[in-house]
This record gives sequence, C-alpha cells and structure tokens, in this order.
Amino acid sequence: MDSREMRSQIENIDTLPTIPSILRKLLAVIEKPKISINEIGNFIANDPVLTSRVLKVVNSPIYGFPGRISSLNQALILLGLNVVRGMLLGVSVFEAMQKTMVGLWEHSLGCAIAARIIAKKKGLKEPEEVSVAGLLHDIGKLVMGLKFPEEYGLAIAEAQKGHIFMLDAEKNQFNISHADAGGWIALKWNFPQNLVEPIEYHHKPHLSKVVPLQTAIVHFADVLTRAAGFGFSGDNFVPAVHPSVWQLLDLSDEDLKDIVSELEDSLGQAEDFLFADE
Amino acid sequence: MSDSKTVVVISRDQVLTSLISKFLKGLCQIVEFATLGSSLDYIYGSNPAILLIDITSDDPTVVSMLNDLKSDPVLGHLSVFAVFGDSFVVPGWDNLLIDDYIKRSSLEAEIRSRIELSMQRAERTIEVNPLTGLPGNIQITKQIQKRLGAGDQFALAYADLDFFKPYNDRYGFSRGDEVLKMLGRLILNTVKDRQPHSSFVGHVGGDDIVFIMDCDAVEETSGKIIGYFDRIIPTFYDIEDRTKGCIESTDREGQKKVYPLIGISIGIVCNDRKHFAHYGEMAEVASEMKRFAKTVKGSCFKVDKRNPSRV
Repeated sequence: MDSREMRSQIENIDTLPTIPSILRKLLAVIEKPKISINEIGNFIANDPVLTSRVLKVVNSPIYGFPGRISSLNQALILLGLNVVRGMLLGVSVFEAMQKTMVGLWEHSLGCAIAARIIAKKKGLKEPEEVSVAGLLHDIGKLVMGLKFPEEYGLAIAEAQKGHIFMLDAEKNQFNISHADAGGWIALKWNFPQNLVEPIEYHHKPHLSKVVPLQTAIVHFADVLTRAAGFGFSGDNFVPAVHPSVWQLLDLSDEDLKDIVSELEDSLGQAEDFLFADE
Repeated sequence: MSDSKTVVVISRDQVLTSLISKFLKGLCQIVEFATLGSSLDYIYGSNPAILLIDITSDDPTVVSMLNDLKSDPVLGHLSVFAVFGDSFVVPGWDNLLIDDYIKRSSLEAEIRSRIELSMQRAERTIEVNPLTGLPGNIQITKQIQKRLGAGDQFALAYADLDFFKPYNDRYGFSRGDEVLKMLGRLILNTVKDRQPHSSFVGHVGGDDIVFIMDCDAVEETSGKIIGYFDRIIPTFYDIEDRTKGCIESTDREGQKKVYPLIGISIGIVCNDRKHFAHYGEMAEVASEMKRFAKTVKGSCFKVDKRNPSRV
C-alpha cells in the first residue's frame, strides 16, 4: 500500500476505541447523576482516546472556531456537560486487544505527566496544553493498530525480535511511522498546530516550526517516561535525547533532578488510577 | 410582539364560524371576518398568532392574497391554517403558502388540540442569533419582564468585549465571528453549569451578551467567565501577536497604536436592593455597570451596589 492510500484510510477514522478498564470506569463516571464538568475533565485527561474525541468535536467546524482549542479544560467548558456526556456514551473498546495496548496507555499518561512537569519548570503559560500534546503524542500507534492490526502486530514482533526501534519496524512494514499517521489524523481532526507539531515531530523535534519548545518538551517527556520504565511504548530500550532538545530546553542539573523526582511521585499516583479497581 | 392568544377566523359560512367558536371556546380569543380582504387591516394592526381560513371554495384571489400575506416578513410568525372541504384535493404546496390544514369533517375531533399545539410551537420557536444560536432581543425582553412581573429576585448581567474592534480590523470579521461564537458557548455553559434551571443567556447583537441568574450565583459565575475567557482568548491570535500579548497597528495619521488582547467587561444588577417595574430600567442599570467595568483595565465585572435611592 502506498502512503497516499494509507493516509486516506487513516483519515477515514472517525473515532478511536479505548481500553476495557477505562470504559468500565467511564460508565461509572457518566452514570453519576450529579457530576461536574471538572470531575469528568479529570477523568478524561487520563485517556488519550477520550481526550482526542473531545478535542475533535470542539475543533470541528460545527462550533465555529476550528483549530483553536488545544486545552482539554477549555474544550469542556466550550462544549458543555450535556455534549460531553452524550459523546462519552458512544465510546467503544478495542475488539482485538493487544497486550501492548495497555502498556501504550500507561506510556501516554506518563508522557503527559512528564510534559506538564517540564512545561511548568520552563515557565510555560499553559502547561496543560503541553500535557495534552504528551498524552496524544503516540496517537498514531493507536490509529495504525486499529486500521492495520495484522501488519502492525508484525511490526511489533519485528521490533521485539530484531532489537530495533518501533519507529524503524514501522517504516520497514509500512514505509511510514506512527508520527506520520498521528500527524495526519491530528490535521484531519482540525487540531491546532501546537498539538499537530508535537505529535508529528516528537521523534524529529528539530523540524517543529510553530511550537519548537512544546515539541522539544514532548520529545524529552517521551524519553523520560521510557527511562522511568513506566508503561510500554513498544521499545525495549530508551532512545537518546535529540541534541537540539538539550539546547532548546537548557535545563540545569538542579532542574533535571527536580523534574525526575517530581515525575516519580506523580507516576505512582497515575499507576493507582490505571490499576485501582473501580 | 405578536398577540399569541388571538385566532382570526375567516369564512363566509356562518355555520362553520360558529362551530369553530364553539370548539375553541376558552382557549383563545376569536376574531371573525367574512373575507380575507376585510381582515387585512386587523391582521397588520394587531399581529395575531393564528389565521384560520376557510378555503372550501377554490378562489384564486384568496390564494394569491394569502401568499402575499405569508411572504411579508413582518408577519413571519403568523401561522396560517386552512380549512378544506372533504373532497378537496391537496394542491402543490409551492402555490399555497400555508402552515397547516384541517378537513372540515375532522374539525370537532382535532381543531382544538391542533390550534393549541400551534400556539405552543410558536412559543418554542424563537428568534435566535444566527452566529451563536442564542435567543435574541425579543426573548431577552420577555425573560426579564416575565421575572419582574412575577416578582422574582434575580440578577441581570450584561457582558461585552473590550478591544474587539482592533481584533476585527487586524484579522477580518470572520475571525471576529469565531470569537463571538466562542463567547456565546463559554457564557452559556458557564451559566448552565452553575445554575442549570431558570437561568437564561441571550445575544443582544454584536459582542453584547446578557445572562440572567440567581443573585447569589451571578458574581461567582461572572468571575469564572472572565477567568475562562482570559485563558482561551490568546489562542484566537496568531502566534506572533500571542507572544507579544498585544496587537500593534498604525492608524491613519501614521501613529503607532498598541492594543491589548480582547478582554471582557460585565455589568451586573440585582433587583433585591432596588425595585424595577420595567425591563428597560433594569437593562439600563446593567449597561451602566458594564460601562463602569469597561473603565477598568483588563477583564472584570462590576455589581451595582449603590444605595437603593430612587432609580
């Protein structure tokens, strides 16, 4: 399949399914008769699929301001409780669950947390937007796993057996990577550039033009989360941090120490969320 | 505003009109005319909600008069019911501009509930602002007056944007419309989140939006609206302006001008301290407070806390 055909198939995806444990918790959340938008927001913020769904709707032309909203909280305020609740009722789960999927969920959540910590350290005005970019950075993996489950399974196996990076295994199998696929779907869903670029360039952060700092943060957060051993991104080893990112972030040893220690604390809490029985 | 309780009945048939009067008794006021021509003066003068017209005989002048009536925007709300004879064959609807019809044989069984439903439908279909989908001035007036009439205690808030014009000048009106759509959604959801029932949000026009809530909820909600708005608005600017935090432009005299990002000013008035008999008085105070809020730099709200001397 050539990449044009792949792109059009990927762009046809309307919604992504989530993992079963999230869906079970989700149903408990929506059934609460008196739930506030904040409560729903705190829940959605832990799941890349639910977050992408909300952002897709709020950035659709129907609401009249496409490509503007990249913060989950802002999206929820603009959509309103009824819309969000209705939207969540339609969420489904992956039919063929691959074991790696759950690992990917943890990895995404871990990256979101790390991105927020780094963004705060760098004094960004809206750390939540960077956190969303971290949560969604691997959305291309979900997209490819959903659309081409068999071939993607082969790529995963190749990465495991051949001791190569997932990124290279994807390219061997598809000629494109999850970063390309994620960028396509993010564009198709009218996501703002400050989400599209970190998704598309989190492995090539030096190519980001509009939001290089946010992209660098997501890149670094991705590496840190792998190094912390939280979740499973598909790779057994940790890639190097891109030299441009060290330069751009300009973090002191002290900064790094703070970031790592805060990350360890926060990841512990995230683990509780994902694995606690509802 | 239309007179929602009046039905104009037009027929030469005395038996028919007296039957209709009997069936609709107590539901509405009925004004009878023998011909459409003789009723026009009344229709244009008093704006009834429903016109019930007997078209048992196929009279082309009646049809063309009816069509003229329906295509006049002033009478856009007027709902026209035709009464057809039982052998009547439905014509092409393009040539007969009516809203509903009823056959003579089913008058007794149906006319009362059909007219009732039509009145309710008219209540429900309200003019909305095409940009935000929020109800417009007629509804706003009604909502305020209804509460004043019932002696309810409530707060009226009047919001508009600061430095919206420089934004429009810089990015064009369609980008400006995006901001207004966002503003409408933002205020609606923030108000409804705090007070789902008996609150109201309406769009006066342009960047003016009003909302009605309980007095003890309005300040907290206004604070939230301002907080959300100030966080969201930077994303509506291009990255250079967002980073600078302002718009720079040159006016006609070649002077460099710097405009801050769009802010929001809200004026609030409650009727718990002051008595208002008429919506106009209350709207005036809210708008006065909004002008006061606009004199303050940045987004803010101002509540009328002046002593309840005479207004």
